[in-house]
Amino acid sequence: MSNAIETESLEYRAGKRFALQRLNLHVPAGSIYGFLGPNGSGKTTTIRLLLALLRPQGGRIRVLDGEMPDDAPRLLARIGFVPEQPHLDVTFTVREILQFQAAFYRTWDARAAEQLLRQFELDDQQLIGRLSKGQKAKVLILLALAQRGDLLVLDEPTDGLDPVVRRDILFALLEYVSQYKATILISSHLVHELERICDWIGVLDDGRLLTETPMATLKNGIKRLRVRHAPAAIGTAPFAVLARHAANGGAEAAVSETWVVRDWAPEMASYFDGIGASLEDVIDLDLEDSFVELLHASREHAGRS
Amino acid sequence: MFRAILYSQWKWSRLIIAVGTIAGFALPLVSLQGAARADRSPLEAEALLHAVQAWGVLYPLLAAALGLLVAIVTWAPDHRGRHIHALTLPLPRWRYVLLRFATGATVLAVPILAVGIGALIAVAAATLPPGLHGYPLALALRFALAALVAYALFFAVSAGTARTAGIILGVIGAIVVVQVFASVANVELNLADHLQTVLTNWPGPLAVFTGRWMLIDV
Repeated sequence: MSNAIETESLEYRAGKRFALQRLNLHVPAGSIYGFLGPNGSGKTTTIRLLLALLRPQGGRIRVLDGEMPDDAPRLLARIGFVPEQPHLDVTFTVREILQFQAAFYRTWDARAAEQLLRQFELDDQQLIGRLSKGQKAKVLILLALAQRGDLLVLDEPTDGLDPVVRRDILFALLEYVSQYKATILISSHLVHELERICDWIGVLDDGRLLTETPMATLKNGIKRLRVRHAPAAIGTAPFAVLARHAANGGAEAAVSETWVVRDWAPEMASYFDGIGASLEDVIDLDLEDSFVELLHASREHAGRS
Repeated sequence: MFRAILYSQWKWSRLIIAVGTIAGFALPLVSLQGAARADRSPLEAEALLHAVQAWGVLYPLLAAALGLLVAIVTWAPDHRGRHIHALTLPLPRWRYVLLRFATGATVLAVPILAVGIGALIAVAAATLPPGLHGYPLALALRFALAALVAYALFFAVSAGTARTAGIILGVIGAIVVVQVFASVANVELNLADHLQTVLTNWPGPLAVFTGRWMLIDV
């Protein structure tokens, strides 16, 4: 499968405290890729680098069939972008901003724009500055979709919106992808939202990519295990142990542990017999729990080293 | 693209352009209002020239004000949106800057034209004393040049970041500091005067603003 976005050892330093560290991102063509991370993890910086709004200090960025930032004008014609903060001129009406945008994109789909205007129930004579937050978000999505890009880059497009607007926007995005086989990179910290629509997930924390995997693999591969009589040293396990905690309180705490593991498969249960332990229970984690466990494990590891 | 950007430029600067157009049209008419009559004596003709010269001060001021204000509104919405919209448009940055500059210069054509028309009407309506001639086209051309120089200058400054503004202020500050030290050390150095001479005397870039702006002259 080819990638719509690919970064190779991407590096960018903003001030003394934050840096993207050798970021290797692979967004498969045709996927909806959820870019997950806590606030300040580097999602917006990465997106700005992908769109040539910032210049990388190291590494390479390949978007669609070109290099960023060198091919920016040509590639930007094929990318719909929704920034974190609305950036449109507040003195324009919705109609004026549509006309302005249409002048720059050869692939502009005027019919789709009209249809989305109706679908989102937007008044085209309303000034951008007088729109509500949800309406502004809808206008930005409308502009990105009517461009008919091969790639949509959405930076927290539904952050702070009410559930009805969020649902309208996500519905429009899914419809677009199914119709045009486009790729979407959507950054968010709203885990449940990404869980509903994404088929790939990348988790970023403190400028480092913790994992990049198909959604199904992440959801099915991260488990919470209840283990009894586990030895302190466990050697090489067929899965990655993200965390080990003693069970809460009582005599049980001495013998019972909770493990959070990654890359789990049911046939790995036999591993515990081999180390003299017993596996009591395997608990599924939803994406939010998986995300939190991944972050904890990464931060503990970073703290140790 | 040019049309789309021109529309946005017009939308942002139309109030300034409207006021500038009215002022530009009225200025030549007012400067000759009731003053130019054929029955003037030579002495009165000299007084007329003084009056025209006095009014003439307003032309470079109007040109500079128009250049400044149009340049500011040209970049203000982009600054407000942190340039994200402009930088994600699918065209090279130099081309976007050029389009913005060209559309700003285009809207400035309206008050420039108004000065030209106002000057032509004023001269046509006045009966000039013998020996005096009207120069409406030369005045309009000079006004156009001054407005465009001011626009280009302020366009460049307002296109810059806070860092650019800092550099400009730093250079001005450095000149002041050097001047202060020179005067303390009794060194014959007048940087401000020298700079002014370089900028405002031909072929300095601001020479167009200085000298006499005469709608009527010998």
